[in-house]
Amino acid sequence: MNCPKLKNWLEERYDWEGMKRFAKRKLVPEHRYDLWYYTGGITLFLFILQFLTGMLLAFYYVPHIDFAHKSIIEIVTKQNLGWFFRSFHHWGSELCIAFLFIHLFGTLLLKSYRKPREFLWATGFILLGVSIFFGLSGYLLLWDERALAAVRVATGGAGNFPFIGGFIKAFLRGSIDVTGDTLTRFYAFHVAILPIITLLLVGLHLLLMQYHGMSVPLSLEKEKRREIPFFPNFFYKDLMVWLVVLGVLTTLAVLLPPEIGAKADPLAPPPENVKPEWYFLFLLETLKLFPGAILGLNGETIAILMVSCAILFFFLIPFFDQRSARGEKSPLFTWIGVIYLLYFLTMTVVGYLS
Amino acid sequence: MRRIGVVKGLKRFSLFRFAQPMVMALFVMIQPAPSPAADRIAVFPTTPFDAYIIYESLAVLWLAIIGLIVIIRMKLREIERIQEMGIDKEDKDAPLLQ
Amino acid sequence: MKLKYSLITRRTFLNTLFGGWLFAFFAGTFSALMKFAFPTLGKEPDFVVLNRKDFTDLANNSVKRFPWGGVVGLYFKKADGSVLALKGVCTHMECNVAYKPEERRFYCACHNGWYDENGKNISGPPPKPLEVFTIMEEGEKLIIAKKGVKVELPKA
Repeated sequence: MNCPKLKNWLEERYDWEGMKRFAKRKLVPEHRYDLWYYTGGITLFLFILQFLTGMLLAFYYVPHIDFAHKSIIEIVTKQNLGWFFRSFHHWGSELCIAFLFIHLFGTLLLKSYRKPREFLWATGFILLGVSIFFGLSGYLLLWDERALAAVRVATGGAGNFPFIGGFIKAFLRGSIDVTGDTLTRFYAFHVAILPIITLLLVGLHLLLMQYHGMSVPLSLEKEKRREIPFFPNFFYKDLMVWLVVLGVLTTLAVLLPPEIGAKADPLAPPPENVKPEWYFLFLLETLKLFPGAILGLNGETIAILMVSCAILFFFLIPFFDQRSARGEKSPLFTWIGVIYLLYFLTMTVVGYLS
Repeated sequence: MRRIGVVKGLKRFSLFRFAQPMVMALFVMIQPAPSPAADRIAVFPTTPFDAYIIYESLAVLWLAIIGLIVIIRMKLREIERIQEMGIDKEDKDAPLLQ
Repeated sequence: MKLKYSLITRRTFLNTLFGGWLFAFFAGTFSALMKFAFPTLGKEPDFVVLNRKDFTDLANNSVKRFPWGGVVGLYFKKADGSVLALKGVCTHMECNVAYKPEERRFYCACHNGWYDENGKNISGPPPKPLEVFTIMEEGEKLIIAKKGVKVELPKA
């Protein structure tokens, strides 16, 4: 496509050629770990897909305790391709969080968080938290038995925080128990508050990444580096990966559409063998390890405190890891990262199989 | 270009003409019988014909994706070839054709 | 004829192929999105089936509303006792029209439009007369259909 007039028109107003030169000058390192560079792009792509399908689903969804469950059944059974887009949104969220974890552990083990990229790590970490909350709030919108049980457990668990737990619980639930008020709240979180926060954080994350450039693993920093231009070389590679992800996601959505359970009844007992989404399993399994009471204190509270400390430490790793900040090898933090990863994996698998 | 010839040859082969109905019949056959539990909500279109259309669309999507990937790879190779030749930087003092 | 040199460079060929393929890909994806975005429900019906009893004892020179799909239909008994079924939606800006018995005319309050007893637009902005439906009676049922539509009742 060649439109010299349009090009001129733009060139008179914006430094189009300059932008093109800029895009060509941006370089991406090429080495044996460069596979990890794609995980962030995949997550971005999945976020875009989630935004798109979410907007469409919002056309038909009714956020009211009496109609929410029914409106989803109508989407799935009556609307054109409704079953597909609900399934797609569901699997999109699962893949999104999976790739966020992969991206997180990749960054951790390659120590890409080290100086000067601490804020990149921080924004990404908060994005993970936001996404998990996205998942939880979206799960409740279905308003079936499992969703109700899962959100009861999750908000109840947050209520075990010392001092502030009660406030968090009340804020999340909007009433004493998980009720229609909670549904309205979670709808507001899911479609208004969290998307804006996500947009801001993603924007900041990308800006910071643009500013710092891609991180090169410590072990390869001394070596002679090969670099390829971001545009067009890396962009096209990214595009190919995105296409494969789109294909896998569509296949999952078509072959494994998620079931819709019976409508939630706040007075009924939870269904047998109820399990939360897989990304909550490691938390749940950790809480199970603790006895009900330790030295006369509430075991849950202690467990939640320990978990919070572990997560806080994880969040602050870039500030603790002084050796890699100086550009030296820091095997201690490699081991810490491996331990975190193994713990997460084993607990998820244990939770899944039990 | 020889490959197109192969496909053309295949098209003359009579079985090829029946490929689509055959695949269709296959999909209709492997459709699991509708589950007797009435309280479960159908999260997937129930008629075999709809299911066939969906699986076919999925196959078309994968073909489109593979096609795009092949084209992008060709483009990438072309870009790399030009970069190796060092002619991707535009000539500053090239005479304008006008 | 075989050309010795191609007039199209490899790059142009690839770009066209890529652009076209990408366009087709996006068009397909977009059409799927749009298919979902446009609702399947709430189309204008060809006919509606009503209960005849509800409409028999209607006084002369008055209207009774009935649901016509998502909008209002008017069952209208003129002063002389003949009946008419109209779509009660102004042809100008789709406001609902009201019947004024004193003046024996239909009135649209949005932009001061007037229709006569037969639904013909007589003053104000409305560009077309109101849509008039056919009335059929089948036993206990009263069928109101679009003009020229063949009514096939579902068997049950």
